[in-house]
Amino acid sequence: MESLVDHVTLSRLQFALTAHFHILWPVLSIGLSLFLVVMEALWLKTGNIVYYRHCRFWSRLFLVNFTVGVVSGIPMEFQFGTNWAPFSVAGGDFFGHMLGFEAAMAFMLEATFLGIMAFGWNRVSPRVHFFSTCMVALGSSLSAFWIMVANSWMHTPTGGVFIDGRFVITDKLAAIFNPDMPWGVSHMWLACIEISVFVVGGLSAWYILKGRHVDFFLKSFKIAVIAAIVVTPLQILVGDGSGTAVYEHQPAKLAAIEAHWETNPPGEGAPWKIIAWPNKARQDNDWAIEIPYALSLITTKSPTGPVRGLREFPVEDQPPVLLPFYAFRIMMAVGFLLFFLMLWTAWTWYRGGLDADRIMDRKRLLHAWIAAVPLSYIGMETGWITREVGRQPWILYNMLRTTDAATNMPASAVGGSLLTFAVLYPLLFVLFVYFAKRIIAAGPAEAVPPRQRLQGHRHE
Amino acid sequence: MGLIEPYLPDIWLFIIGFFLLYYAVADGYGLGVGILSLFARDEEERSIMMESIESTWHDNQTWLVLLGGMLFGAFPLFYSLVLSSLYIPILLMLFGLIFRGISFEFRSNSDEKRTWSLSFGFGSLIVTIAQGFALGGLLSGLPVKDGVFAGSVWGWLNPFSVLVTAGVLAGYVMLASNYLILKTHDEIQQRSYRISLLSSIITLVVSVTVHLRIVAMYPHAAGKWTHPPDCYAVWAFVLLAGIAFVLLLVSLKQRREIAPLFCNMGIILFSFVGMSVAMYPYMIPNVIASPLTVHSVAASPDTLWFMLVVVMVLIPLILTYTGYKHRLFRGKTTGIGYESEKGHG
Repeated sequence: MESLVDHVTLSRLQFALTAHFHILWPVLSIGLSLFLVVMEALWLKTGNIVYYRHCRFWSRLFLVNFTVGVVSGIPMEFQFGTNWAPFSVAGGDFFGHMLGFEAAMAFMLEATFLGIMAFGWNRVSPRVHFFSTCMVALGSSLSAFWIMVANSWMHTPTGGVFIDGRFVITDKLAAIFNPDMPWGVSHMWLACIEISVFVVGGLSAWYILKGRHVDFFLKSFKIAVIAAIVVTPLQILVGDGSGTAVYEHQPAKLAAIEAHWETNPPGEGAPWKIIAWPNKARQDNDWAIEIPYALSLITTKSPTGPVRGLREFPVEDQPPVLLPFYAFRIMMAVGFLLFFLMLWTAWTWYRGGLDADRIMDRKRLLHAWIAAVPLSYIGMETGWITREVGRQPWILYNMLRTTDAATNMPASAVGGSLLTFAVLYPLLFVLFVYFAKRIIAAGPAEAVPPRQRLQGHRHE
Repeated sequence: MGLIEPYLPDIWLFIIGFFLLYYAVADGYGLGVGILSLFARDEEERSIMMESIESTWHDNQTWLVLLGGMLFGAFPLFYSLVLSSLYIPILLMLFGLIFRGISFEFRSNSDEKRTWSLSFGFGSLIVTIAQGFALGGLLSGLPVKDGVFAGSVWGWLNPFSVLVTAGVLAGYVMLASNYLILKTHDEIQQRSYRISLLSSIITLVVSVTVHLRIVAMYPHAAGKWTHPPDCYAVWAFVLLAGIAFVLLLVSLKQRREIAPLFCNMGIILFSFVGMSVAMYPYMIPNVIASPLTVHSVAASPDTLWFMLVVVMVLIPLILTYTGYKHRLFRGKTTGIGYESEKGHG
């Protein structure tokens, strides 16, 4: 906090801004592309035109969303070189080629087949079109995989040695399958599915509530509910596993997330703070409301399991506490709220409340689904805050400090680019909302499936 | 494995060179179409121009993402040095890409077509200028000390880089006009023949000047033109580029539709390879200490091996599916719009 205007702080702010903004879009691209695969498969299987219209309707939203994702994503890749040159040199041996794999294996596939998915309805056979949709979905999920491999490696950098300021890879597979990777990948991928489930479900609920295309959107609503039944509890389980991995590999981060200052003595359990006011200067909480034994129980599965406190770590190695502590609690609350919403909806469905003639009366339930849309995004963003702020002060955990990893350049240059991003990105957000609202207001069109592609037919 | 290992960085230089070349040609015509759209007579013409690249501009642009990722992986030091030294042009390029990138999708959803056509045109122009200055900045040499950039954030701005930028602008416009000759007819096509002729002459003059300046600046590059055996390769590629240029002029005169674009690609390929041979083995011309060679900026051999194996599988795959797609969307642009295919079926 010494200076808000040095180049390191500005580069960090810029990365935080661009990353938090960018991640809003791929989550929906990943989940919605899978939803489109399901809808197109149903169309091909049943021949029911309603599914075809679903494909056309949701893919319009998909394209606008994807566009903002791409334009905000390209700066991410280049920022490692522009603003984090020392990190790029130190970690490039592994980190760089993970980004390269992402581009070559995933993004190229997605970008190319997206063109056929969007413009190819009349040019290719339904099977080839379905194949293209599948490739878009595969590409976007693969993309998430490689990016999360790279990111998780920053948390648990294994597979090599750090000599003379450079990480030299000795075992590639150990680096790819670093301890955090299975959790990082699955937690984020499920988050993409979960958010998309609530976007599809929430928008469908909005139409149903308005009495527009009720039968049509009841189909997508029910598919969302089925997916939520699987995803919401699974995400809580994976989140718990992810927490255990943090406990094992990043103890200082876990202590910060839980505002846990002192290691519990043998035979005593560490309490879990529901809320607290951590005070880093005093190395303690000013006040806290606690559940006894709960922290030991959650992290070690034993009521008196030892959980290392923050005071065990030198102050200069401690992450910030306030931000991860509260961000984590918001994320967790969202995860459980979405889980309870799923239970409520499943119960209503079981009682016949989701029938076409009765669902209109379930106003509260439908409103809850609409509210779940922003809520699910908030859950994801706070999750990222927990994850990344908790990693501090390291950019490469226990190896390279964030403050040593930024490009040394005039603060005015970074300030200028940060300011431009700060103007452009909100503008992109507003434009997205404007076009998404137009698409939603227009609703699904009475589209007719494409004529079978005639032999030799061209757009001439 | 032992035989190839010393050459791994060179193999990677070749692969990266291919990515750069592919990007420069493919997105070069896309960006050039954007610049030309600023001079279109009306919105209808702009529609046709934008539509001519609508289905493929995005995968063409993705080669830049591929290039960035592979460069980061194979030459981490090069990647970090060049991007951090050229901070302002690189960021400018990213901002330009945002405007270009949103223009197609937002235009198809909007009633204000003109706003988004302008976003396309100016976005493309900004990207092109930024790439010109980035290239010019790199070719004018970077002050590097102890593996860190030691110059000014404005170091890329000098008369030489202005000249390079003019060359990139003219080159992209030339590619775009040859592309539009292939993809359009009537008025736009006829105009494209004239623009192609004009821009190709400007590109030629600027390129020759840039080469002369490089020879004057870097003794090792000058040596490549005079000392055998390198000079045979350099002159051979210059000769090939010259032949391609003459063929381009002939094909323009004969009002051919496909030949100009391919001659244009030939010119770029040959002059790019010739230029690379002249610069080799230096990746970063350094103005204060010894220049950085291909080997000094490369990742560890293990990493290069691993990436090579993966990329050797992926490149043929990528070329297959992108090739399929280009074939699928071949043919003249009508102006009716893929939009009709896309929006409401």
